[in-house]
Amino acid sequence: MSAAAHSVDDARGRTPREIDKAGYVLVAFFAIPFFLFNIMPVLFGFYVAFTRWSIVGSPKWEGLRNFTRAFNDQWVAVAFKNILLYGLIIVPCVTVLGLLFALFVNKRYPLSGLARTLFFAPTVVSATVIGLVWVWLLDTQFGLVNHYLSFFGIDNIPWLTSTRWSLVGVSIASVWWDLGLAFVLFLAALQDIPGEINDAAIVDGANRWQRFRYVILPHLRPVISMVVTLQLISTLRIFSQVYVMTNGGPASSSSSPIHYIYSMAIVRNLFGYASAIAILLFALILAITFAQRFLLKERV
Amino acid sequence: MSVRTTLNGTSALNRRGLLKTAGAAAALLAAPRLATRRASAGNPIEIVHWSWLAASDGEIWARMIADFNEAHKDKGVQIKMEVVPEEQYVTKVLAAVATGKAPDFGWGTAGKGAQLARDEVVIPLDDLVAKAGLDIADFSASSIAASRYPKYDNKMFMIPMDLMSLQPEINLDHVKEAGLDAANPPADGATLLEWAKAMTKRDGDKVTRSGIMMTGSGVQPTVTWGIVAEQMGFKRASDDLKTACVNPEAGKQAMQWVLDLFDKHKVSTRDVTDRYKAFGTGQGSIFWTGPWTLNGYVGQKLPFKTALFPKIGDKHVTYFEGGGLELYQQSDTGRYEATMQAVKWLSDNSFLWTTVGRGASPRKSILERPDYKTTGNSWDVRGAFVDGMDFASVGEIPVVNGPNFTIYSGGNFLAKTLEGVWSGQTSIDAAMTQIQTQWQADLDEG
Repeated sequence: MSAAAHSVDDARGRTPREIDKAGYVLVAFFAIPFFLFNIMPVLFGFYVAFTRWSIVGSPKWEGLRNFTRAFNDQWVAVAFKNILLYGLIIVPCVTVLGLLFALFVNKRYPLSGLARTLFFAPTVVSATVIGLVWVWLLDTQFGLVNHYLSFFGIDNIPWLTSTRWSLVGVSIASVWWDLGLAFVLFLAALQDIPGEINDAAIVDGANRWQRFRYVILPHLRPVISMVVTLQLISTLRIFSQVYVMTNGGPASSSSSPIHYIYSMAIVRNLFGYASAIAILLFALILAITFAQRFLLKERV
Repeated sequence: MSVRTTLNGTSALNRRGLLKTAGAAAALLAAPRLATRRASAGNPIEIVHWSWLAASDGEIWARMIADFNEAHKDKGVQIKMEVVPEEQYVTKVLAAVATGKAPDFGWGTAGKGAQLARDEVVIPLDDLVAKAGLDIADFSASSIAASRYPKYDNKMFMIPMDLMSLQPEINLDHVKEAGLDAANPPADGATLLEWAKAMTKRDGDKVTRSGIMMTGSGVQPTVTWGIVAEQMGFKRASDDLKTACVNPEAGKQAMQWVLDLFDKHKVSTRDVTDRYKAFGTGQGSIFWTGPWTLNGYVGQKLPFKTALFPKIGDKHVTYFEGGGLELYQQSDTGRYEATMQAVKWLSDNSFLWTTVGRGASPRKSILERPDYKTTGNSWDVRGAFVDGMDFASVGEIPVVNGPNFTIYSGGNFLAKTLEGVWSGQTSIDAAMTQIQTQWQADLDEG
């Protein structure tokens, strides 16, 4: 505790022990609700995963049955496969496009202020609204996307109604939505790079690509790591767009684990089974996060 | 409030004072809620009702509740209605029952409440019906049968309020354009296809207007398969609920029939995303759907009429859905009688609901009223949904895992399995094997 704080409290006639108690009380305003509404449900979820429970009555212990069922459930496998595919599409697209947009705005061309606002705008719109808008944009027969593609001789693409394209359709909307945050993070990092370094590289004869590759990119590595991590976690939890745009279909081709968990818990009231799948998803997110931290450790 | 003045003259709240203030504020905020939740003696009884009806039928239902409240304003009973999203409805009811704050009554669907009956979330109504004097003999036998659960002592868990079926709505502009006779809509499978072909529009090989409104996934192909399969002799479960998939070959034939609409006859496209909007904007000519669509399409002045579902197979059947009111478990069991009296009033006065609202009435006395056919939407659009109840029998399978059997679903096990067939990812044989395996396990579970 700082000397200034001591003097104030001394003036109010309180001992350090009393001050500590006051601190605990203040922390309790956050800690107690956090424990009750975050920690407890998580712990309860772990317990429920080993039971059969539909809210009414006590959970009935079933051991590992929910997990065995999850491993044998073809729709669980499809949902987990899908998020890996979502990750492969969304994470690189958001990272690369976010960086390109940030590089563009950082050049401070005319209207770059407007561009900055436009690039960031989708982020402040709710995922549900984004989903509803993109359902219309990607409509096979009357959507604007297919309309413009037809100018290039491209036939109507069933973005949301075919097993082959639905995942791509949802990914397009997700990339558009997620891009803003990555863009802002990259822009902030770019503006932190001292101009002298770039100037020195120019004096040394580095061309644009070399300056980007050997000056800018190394400075962006921590941000790239953060963007990839955040985007990966966000993609692994993808739900709203899936729910609004395709409801996981057709034939589960665009479903995600969270969407399946929602179906099992809220639609079927199989809370034990849904919790078991949630734990599997938690384990996957944990494993990927650790793997990513390990892989990027040397460079960051 | 406990306030202490500091040395610099500002007022500071001490911890105890702050907690007291917070507690008092919380109590103050909670008080009105506690007070309105349960009426005390001497005040009117407030019966809490949950409804998921949120479309045009919801407005009519709200009028029903308002009429009840008006009729009972001096009788010490009022209904407070709260609208809960349909998909979350059961979960919220379960949570409310678990916390002892369940609504008194709400909407249910015949055959879909086996889990609620098993867990005693909904209560059996036979005794309460007798006490309230509700005339069960005035209800159609099928509506009462659909409200009972054979697995749970065949008790009645719902008071039927409306009966719904799927019947084809036909765009009259398209009929005229194709030179067909609107007075003689298709009554069999062959004529249905003839009509569909005549009204379908194509751009090259692509269907741009569906003769038969279909989607590539979701509810529409699933429910179509369910109806056609039963017409062809397939049964999802035997009458004793012990054997799944009776006559699977008929089920496979029905899958092929649906596939042929897209690929052989080319009268439907998989590219439609929203079937309701698509039919409303003229992208489809024949659309089998339920009476809940009538007010919307009539309101937007869509030129259409409704016909009876054609007989495609050997049996003439269509999808059945029974809507009704169920009573939820209360800690204060004294509320049941007042609630049942309210439900009785709503049922006795359901003329408005089953003419302007939705569906056909399960009450014989209402169906026999001379003004039943002339009230509400015209008989041209409403009639098939009333007359068609005679052969609407493909309803829910009343077991705990019943949702896996539901044919009117876009995301359940059945829909997802069939979507594999519609998209060409799964063979018809493989899909039927998957369905048979899952459903048998579901029936075995009871």
